[in-house]
Amino acid sequence: MQDTLQTLVGGLSLGAVYALVAMGFSLVYRTMGLVNFAHADIAMIGAYTASTFYLTAKLPFAVAMVTAIVVTGAIGLVIERVLRPLENKDFDLMLIGTIGFGIVLQALAVLVWGTTGRAVPSPLHTAPLNLLGIRVRTYDLLVMAVAAIAVVALVFFLSRTKRGAAMQAVAMDHEAATAVGIDVGRSNALAFAVGAGLAALAGGLVGPMLYVDASLGGALGIKGFAAAMLGGFGSIQGAVVGGIAIGVLDSYAAGHFQGYSVLVTFLVFTAAIMIRPTGIFGERTVSRA
Amino acid sequence: MKAVAGDTAQCLSVRDLSVHYGGVQAVSSIGFSVEPGQSVGIIGANGAGKTSTLKALMGLVPRSGGTIHLGDKDLTRVRARDMVRHGIGYVPEGRHVFPGLPVEKNLLLGAYSRAWDAETHRQLEEIYALFPVLKEMRERLAGALSGGQQQMLAIGRALMTRPRLLVLDEPSMGLSPKLVGTILDVLLRLREEGLSLLLVEQNAKLTFGVTSHCVVMENGRVAVRGTSAELSHDPRVREVYLGL
Repeated sequence: MQDTLQTLVGGLSLGAVYALVAMGFSLVYRTMGLVNFAHADIAMIGAYTASTFYLTAKLPFAVAMVTAIVVTGAIGLVIERVLRPLENKDFDLMLIGTIGFGIVLQALAVLVWGTTGRAVPSPLHTAPLNLLGIRVRTYDLLVMAVAAIAVVALVFFLSRTKRGAAMQAVAMDHEAATAVGIDVGRSNALAFAVGAGLAALAGGLVGPMLYVDASLGGALGIKGFAAAMLGGFGSIQGAVVGGIAIGVLDSYAAGHFQGYSVLVTFLVFTAAIMIRPTGIFGERTVSRA
Repeated sequence: MKAVAGDTAQCLSVRDLSVHYGGVQAVSSIGFSVEPGQSVGIIGANGAGKTSTLKALMGLVPRSGGTIHLGDKDLTRVRARDMVRHGIGYVPEGRHVFPGLPVEKNLLLGAYSRAWDAETHRQLEEIYALFPVLKEMRERLAGALSGGQQQMLAIGRALMTRPRLLVLDEPSMGLSPKLVGTILDVLLRLREEGLSLLLVEQNAKLTFGVTSHCVVMENGRVAVRGTSAELSHDPRVREVYLGL
């Protein structure tokens, strides 16, 4: 029982990171109908940027994180701006364009930071807490808290602000959104920037938990993508539930199946998707005639 | 109810409007005008170019020629998203509500180009007075509404933009005769308030009931134009274009 709970706690913090990645995927999909395949690599750039400002520039961790979010947000804006002309011409090309940007970002990371990668020490030096016999690292709690705040902020933005409503309206109907005066391009740019910011948040937070190198995006991206699908692509609650589910599943599999853990995680994921192809909160939010 | 319609003392004038899709000419040099407070209909068979004309007017499809003026303002180069700021409200064909958003959000988005303040909420109440069923459904997702309710929502949303001119594309499409009657009543009421209407329809009875003047389109051109009263009694129009 103790072991089980211990694994659960470990899975929750990693799950919170997957949830953040999944939320970014879902936000861009929900507002543009586009799966941003550069998303995972944006998270990797976020991890590198945050670690550079934290380790090399010796900035406080929080400041380094904010800097990383701003940098990747700008990258998101650039990607959207470059791909924008494709949106009304050929949507598939836009999708492929995001894959291309992913490759560019990976190459850029190798050029700037090299191939060796880096370990990021935890910014919190307090001893692990002992809750009912379970050791909980304070950094894990921080990750969960930051992710929770991000979820609440994003849900608030989408459901309670005018711009958030407009962003969703754009996804549902370009023409009607345009007719009420919404700037579709600007709305998409904002979605990309916020999505990229979420990726950076995930990448920055995961730095002290995993090893930061150019392949971090792949590791984080595939789990985040699975989390988004499991929850229901496009759904923010789904991203959270899916992220935590994948995190916990991952953590159990690592404890029980060691080398085969990823295989087990994705077998369970595949079974779940076969049973419910639309995911837990699955809904069709985007229709493209 | 008066506040639903904005300042109406502007005349829409469209000249030589043309639309090409690839090499196909959908609309050829069509011209018409809507005087302040006037209701004008565009009728014609399927594929006559009615919807293309409206979309080109709204800037939603590229125009290959022509000019658009509202009063003395030249709207020819105004982008689609800015038409609403010049007082043109648009109810698209097939309703096009935002299905995943609640009814009230749909209406509020009509007021997207203004701050959402007390005035906006007062205006919202006016829309609810016009369409009481929308008030009952205000928390529901628009996609869960019936076709008639969605049409009312689409009209309500366009009215929330505070138009001088309301452009409607086939508001009766797919609706039961009873609901067409409801839409007719609403359009008549808006007309009485002095709102200018531009109505594209296949339902000739609805069109002649609401409008004072009509343009009959055929193959992207104006085939006949005149007052609605004349046209509704013109045997050629009735037979060839309307199948009455």
